[in-house]
Amino acid sequence: MKTVEVVVLIILILALALLITVGFEHIMPSTAVRPPAEFYLYATYNPYKLREYTVMSPEAVTAIVWDFRGLDTLFETSVFYLALIAGLALTRRLLSERAEKPGHGLSLIVKTVTRITAPMIIVVGASIALHGHLTPGGGFQGGSVIAVLPMVIIVVFSVSFLIMRGFTTSKMIIMRSLGLFGIGLTAIALFLVSLIQGTHAYVFQNMIKPDAQTSMPIYIAGALISGTLWFFNLFEMFAVAAGFSIAFIVLMLARTLQVEER
Amino acid sequence: MSSLKSILRVFLIFLLAFAIYTIYTGSLTGYDIVTGVLVSIVVSVVFSGMIIKNPLKPLNAIRWFYLITYAILYFTYYETKAHVDVIKRILHPKTPVNPAIIETYYNANSDYAITTIANSITNTPGTVVVEIDETRKAFYIHWIDAKTLDPLEAKREIFESFEKFARRIFD
Repeated sequence: MKTVEVVVLIILILALALLITVGFEHIMPSTAVRPPAEFYLYATYNPYKLREYTVMSPEAVTAIVWDFRGLDTLFETSVFYLALIAGLALTRRLLSERAEKPGHGLSLIVKTVTRITAPMIIVVGASIALHGHLTPGGGFQGGSVIAVLPMVIIVVFSVSFLIMRGFTTSKMIIMRSLGLFGIGLTAIALFLVSLIQGTHAYVFQNMIKPDAQTSMPIYIAGALISGTLWFFNLFEMFAVAAGFSIAFIVLMLARTLQVEER
Repeated sequence: MSSLKSILRVFLIFLLAFAIYTIYTGSLTGYDIVTGVLVSIVVSVVFSGMIIKNPLKPLNAIRWFYLITYAILYFTYYETKAHVDVIKRILHPKTPVNPAIIETYYNANSDYAITTIANSITNTPGTVVVEIDETRKAFYIHWIDAKTLDPLEAKREIFESFEKFARRIFD
């Protein structure tokens, strides 16, 4: 029996080696830039030749996510929000948030280390979000990094500790809603301005278009903010950080109650 | 006096937060400075009470001197010694290990000193702090080669010098 297994294994390894050798050129992605990517890289930051289609952001991914396909991202954010609403509706009877005694949590060592790392998590998350239009990252990524902190606090201290410190779900819902409100307002900002001025503009417009000459500010006090991108990233950071915090708190509250009922 | 202390506390955490923001961002243009200052102010106001109790301790040069001395000594001498010992045990054909969890007692008061001792023990190969009992001031250490089960002798073998430095830095 054992020889059969060994033979099968050897054949498998040889077959895999052959596959990799022969199929190398097909399996490995080519290093050449494909035509769509070439277009986006050309259009992302091009104030010289493509002034009427460029996003004025050196970061191509954020430019695509918040400008070229901005409406898609808006709906993604809405889907996330709807999922949270569903989660809150399912666990609504838990949300009296009995802030009684906090649990024991982990040992003193872990707690001390968490206390030092807490501000660093926030600062790194904010840096990712605020440089989303310049370097890889953005509002969603930065907000997710910030949401690590409530998660860590729930694990290391306890969920009641977090609630007693003022991180209640109702406050998180307010922050989340303000973030979404900001995103919506940014999306129609240029439209509202042109409505007052009596000119022509699109919803979700960022830079000037051939038939709509109003534009979001590209620079503020000499700093590149790439129009709507900076505002979207900022508001998305608040919305996502608060949204994930709600999810973590609700999940852990449900678990605490389940353990108590048993 | 207490308000002065809390302002100093916020300022120290502000410096820490701004340093991390700048290092993480990797550039120092006007935009980075303005956003970094704003983020750091918010973070330092929210977290300063959680991190520092006595703001005069981080301003003490002698504590910094001991911290730097300890860092250099720890990462060169103590780490190498522990690594060599464990490498010998791994490569030895008979694998001479004598593992046990022992109870020892530490003598430090501040959270940071206790954490420094515990992390120093865990970071050296061969010893891991498994559990801590604050009421009895006891560490439960898993030791790859338990030479002794006596708390005092084990302390001398494992972490007496760590404790001496940790108390001078943080206590």
